[in-house]
Amino acid sequence: MYQRTAQRHSLFCILPPHILRSIAQNGTAQQRTASMQTLAIDHTFRALRTRPRLGVPARPRMLPAEGMKVRTIFDARHTQTLPGEVVRIEGGPPTGDVAVDEAYDGLGATYDFFWEIFERNSIDDEGMPLDATVHFGQNYDNAFWDGQRMVFGDGDGDLFNRFTISLDIIGHELAHGVTEDEAQLIYFFQAGALNESMSDVFGSLVKQYVLGQTAEQADWLIGAGLFTANVNGVALRSMKAPGTAYNDPVLGKDPQPAHLRDFVRTFEDNGGVHINSGIPNRAFYLAATKLGGYAWEKAGRVWYETLRDSRLRPNSGFQRFARLTVSNAARLFGAGSAEEQVVRQSWSEVGIMIH
Amino acid sequence: MRIRFKTEGGIAHFPGLSQPVTIDCDQLPTQEAREVEQLVADARFFALPAGAGAGRQGAADYRHYTITVEAEGRRHTVQVSDPVADPALQRLVAYLQAKARALRRVRSPE
Repeated sequence: MYQRTAQRHSLFCILPPHILRSIAQNGTAQQRTASMQTLAIDHTFRALRTRPRLGVPARPRMLPAEGMKVRTIFDARHTQTLPGEVVRIEGGPPTGDVAVDEAYDGLGATYDFFWEIFERNSIDDEGMPLDATVHFGQNYDNAFWDGQRMVFGDGDGDLFNRFTISLDIIGHELAHGVTEDEAQLIYFFQAGALNESMSDVFGSLVKQYVLGQTAEQADWLIGAGLFTANVNGVALRSMKAPGTAYNDPVLGKDPQPAHLRDFVRTFEDNGGVHINSGIPNRAFYLAATKLGGYAWEKAGRVWYETLRDSRLRPNSGFQRFARLTVSNAARLFGAGSAEEQVVRQSWSEVGIMIH
Repeated sequence: MRIRFKTEGGIAHFPGLSQPVTIDCDQLPTQEAREVEQLVADARFFALPAGAGAGRQGAADYRHYTITVEAEGRRHTVQVSDPVADPALQRLVAYLQAKARALRRVRSPE
């Protein structure tokens, strides 16, 4: 299968370690040699991330086996008191409450995506239990990550439906936990826009993975289905065409730029974190569609490894992040590879030049 | 009593929803005006610190509210983020959110 054992095995690099290990155990002699060498290379690669994690207190807990998720859904019963009452635990049957069951299934899909594609065991890669609260507040038009749990409002029914309705929103919130665990990107200005973009990237990938869509087939919308019929718009954001997701008399017009020349300088929205994320979002969309196939296989892998890269600092801006994606593409697929060039080209199309 | 209410943040930035709204009790029906004044009094608004609860470490997509109340020659501004812990302040925020929604609907008929 792969003869050049002294070299990087580009295809093996995109295979998750559990598949590599399976090949190492069950493959032909040649495959076993190659996959075992890749595992060895990849371990050094993973070990690059040596910076200690901040702000994650040690907590007593039962450690589930790897690959086993532990979900708990709470109901705030229309108050703003967290966490609320437990209404569904791992393995429990559907409750018939749509928000509860969507949250349960969405957390499961997101966990499975990170485990099956990146062999990441939950938010902290150590099996952290996944907690979500639904029915938060009254007519509450938002979903957020409070640093420990996902919280979903029911929407006002006038502009917004319930916030569990979009799988990518659930993935978006959970990915905030992953970003906090790996990179602590400061939630302000460009670092905050990168933080937001990571959540859109992985939220969208979870949806694409569940739907079995290629980059070409995906809609690249964030929050499709969230707006009621009263709103003139399709979603919260479009990664493919930032700035086009809605244009409505009440909500206003989607303010996202698609190119660095239209970067919005503001102190609103934590310095434009949900505005300027359009720029890195589009770079990801471009890379994924140019690379073709399933977006999580190549582009997603590059972005994920960049998020885990110790050179990504909490205050990193677009330029540094972009440079690290090019560097990681070269490490994963080879220096001068088509993949490296595509990633560099994608950034240049949104105005960020990496030489 | 006049209240200026601004919402920011959340899972997306909506230019239309981030416009501040002003609620002037003189323009409200007497009963509603009394209720608003009671909500402000219950929240002990003028005794609240200016930054009543910042977002938790690592938190994201939470909304924050900037509330300015002017009454009887006094003026005070409070910034607060979700989730609002104090039940009385929560009730004030909930009222302001509902009112802002109604005002936006009136201002922007379809």
